[in-house]
Amino acid sequence: MSVAFNQFTEIASWLFLIYGSIISGGYLFTAIFSLIEIRDYKRRNNFEDDIALLQSLNLPAISILAPAFNEGLNIVENVRSLLTINYPSFEIVIINDGSSDNSLELLIEAYELEKRDILYHNFIPSKEIRGIYKSGNKAFKNLTLIDKENGGKADALNTGINVCQNSVICCIDVDCILENDAMLKLIKPFLNNGNKVIASGGVIRVANSCVIEDGRLIEVKLPNTFVARVQIIEYFRAFLMGRMAWSRVDGLLLISGAFGMFDKQIVIEAGGYNTKTVGEDMELLVRMRRMMQERNVPYTVGFVPDPLCWTEVPQTWKVLQRQRNRWTRGTAETLWIHKKMMFNPKYKILGMLSTPFWFFFEWLAPLIEFVGILFFLILLALGQINWVVFLTFFLAVYSFALLFSITALFFEEYSFQQYKKPSYIFKLIGTAMLEPLIYHPVIMWSAVMGNLDLLRGRNSWGVMSRAGLTNPKKKKKK
Amino acid sequence: MVNQNTLNFIDLLADLPWVMKLNIVFTIFFVSLATIFVVSIIWLRIHKNFRNEKKKKQQNLLIDFLNSFLFDEDFDKEVEITNFKLHHLKSSLEIKVTIKEILHFHENLKGESAKELETLFLQLGLVDHVLTDLNNGSWFTKARAINALSELSIVVPNHKIEAYLNESRNEVRQQSQLYFLKLSQNSPLQFLDKTFRPLTTWQQIYIENALKNFYKGEAPDFSKWLDHDLLSVVEFSIRMIARYNQFEHIEKLLPFLDHEEDSLKCEAIHSLTNLEYQGLLELIIPNYNTRSRALKLQIMEAVAELGSYEDLQKLEAQLHRTDWEFRIKYLNIEQGFLPDKKDQIYSQFILEKSLAI
Repeated sequence: MSVAFNQFTEIASWLFLIYGSIISGGYLFTAIFSLIEIRDYKRRNNFEDDIALLQSLNLPAISILAPAFNEGLNIVENVRSLLTINYPSFEIVIINDGSSDNSLELLIEAYELEKRDILYHNFIPSKEIRGIYKSGNKAFKNLTLIDKENGGKADALNTGINVCQNSVICCIDVDCILENDAMLKLIKPFLNNGNKVIASGGVIRVANSCVIEDGRLIEVKLPNTFVARVQIIEYFRAFLMGRMAWSRVDGLLLISGAFGMFDKQIVIEAGGYNTKTVGEDMELLVRMRRMMQERNVPYTVGFVPDPLCWTEVPQTWKVLQRQRNRWTRGTAETLWIHKKMMFNPKYKILGMLSTPFWFFFEWLAPLIEFVGILFFLILLALGQINWVVFLTFFLAVYSFALLFSITALFFEEYSFQQYKKPSYIFKLIGTAMLEPLIYHPVIMWSAVMGNLDLLRGRNSWGVMSRAGLTNPKKKKKK
Repeated sequence: MVNQNTLNFIDLLADLPWVMKLNIVFTIFFVSLATIFVVSIIWLRIHKNFRNEKKKKQQNLLIDFLNSFLFDEDFDKEVEITNFKLHHLKSSLEIKVTIKEILHFHENLKGESAKELETLFLQLGLVDHVLTDLNNGSWFTKARAINALSELSIVVPNHKIEAYLNESRNEVRQQSQLYFLKLSQNSPLQFLDKTFRPLTTWQQIYIENALKNFYKGEAPDFSKWLDHDLLSVVEFSIRMIARYNQFEHIEKLLPFLDHEEDSLKCEAIHSLTNLEYQGLLELIIPNYNTRSRALKLQIMEAVAELGSYEDLQKLEAQLHRTDWEFRIKYLNIEQGFLPDKKDQIYSQFILEKSLAI
């Protein structure tokens, strides 16, 4: 028993070590590729301001699709903010996804909307539309409101795609704050590329505690809560390190649902958003890419590292856990749906690198980690822990986690430096030091629960309550 | 003492099991790297702040200097320029900021003042720096140098810029295109003859913008490039013929209606529609059914712009009832032709849809 057990622990230790080394190597490569890509991007854009082009009539018209479900609290202000976007030709399509609050009435009243007979067809199957509204007031001529039966975010976006007028669509969260030139920057990859561009994505930034006035970001501030603050570092890692690197090798599998631009025709040909998964944003991009690869058409996916879209992230542990649970289920569902791509050379980098990476290091990592902790607990129960070995191993893992976060902070400092106050840097470094001990276990647990929920057949989004983004000073005055 | 400690530590490591050795080495490595990054972050912050401070100082200095240079009659230009050159153009940052600031001023000024700034740029010897960047820099400094030259209308031998017309980097190509365009007196698009890399849509938008806003001469004859080897150049020329109302070239556009490339057919229909060429519909309606999706939509646009309800009806026979995209487009145009029957058309469509289901 003792020899067998020792052999087992030896093998398990080796497996954990090999896995850990591969994952560390993977992160090292993403860091290097990201740095090259960020430097390149800065060089490409540091001597000329494209803003002059906003006067041009030659830029393609964009349909901005924003689904809304029970957003009555801020919807009128949010839409007003969207209507001020700086771009020559665009329409805003708000899709009221069967809200049970007064969102519809508020919008109708605020924007003088009237029901119109608009011809449309469900190119992508979606729930029934109750009415399409346009404004009688010329000031809001860009606005279309679709009222439909509740079907979820994916279904709402599909409805928007069916009804909208333009061939380029931008899918956003209705409450996100967009930078003035966000549309121009996001459309640039579509127009400045030799290959056909099917989609382009931007960086999402954390807006909690930032000063926002009339739908515009006035001052970037560090959130007061640890949960929100730690997500800043997480987003740096995800966008400035992960996605930049994947973009460099044209292996992006995810454009965030909160802010992404797509070629409408390709989206329709791919079948639109999948309403049966909670990871509809990732699934759509993977399906679009898979379709293009199978058709053998040269194409690419663009990515813009500028901070263009600011959004509110979960402020409480409970909401955060729900969100991460959903993300895990979305990832697992997408990888399962497209399992044919995994290690399939036909899909080139997507098959040989992107999908395996997502499988082993995004989906499997929390499970391996959880098994590792269980393994540790078993050894502990059996009194088999060598505490000195454990301590050194723990320190190695902790220092790597810290290094990864600090590298992400360095990338932010090197590139966009949005958090100007010197005290913010130290707070962020402090947050990075606490993250592996406080935050990471919760995220790992949420991922484990996400997988369990998936096995149990749970398919809901869960309530994602938000505090809303407003000027804190104004809030105080009230 | 230190060496003794190091030796002790190495001895200690040597006695440990390999797993622990590995863990300790990794920990030291990761912590050292993390520390280096933390120091780098702090250094970057201090460096950027320091740099921004210097930049601001130079900018403020320049604002005063440039305002006096341009608008103060008592300003002794010769002495002040020499003085500025001697004391405020020493570091590369000062030079960069000065170039950027002059470009910024130049962008907002016209006529005599703009000319004076161009002269000042030469007198400060900044051209030499720009030319050094152009000759020896990396791709992005070259692009920046060409941008400065074109913005300030500084002429350099053509061959120096022509070399970059077909550079692999989009940005360098774009700047060299704009250089030729902005500096040209009467042939702004001559550079197209020497271009063999496709123009991106972004570059085409920039070229059109520059033609409209910077080029002061007579509009070029865009038909010259209708037989260019690059499809993107031909496409651009077809579009420009319509934008500049060059009706005399309508005949030259007609062969493109039968071109093997759909993108050119599409552009030709679009341009002929904008030129209100009355013979267009009889050429494109008969073959409607055999055309690609993009062309079909373009033909419908042409009918909406140039045609009558009778022309539209000619398309109806070629439309499939369940081709919803074209059907909707057709009915939208029909509603435009028959505004009184808008509701009836809508009801009919709803009925058709329900029957199709």
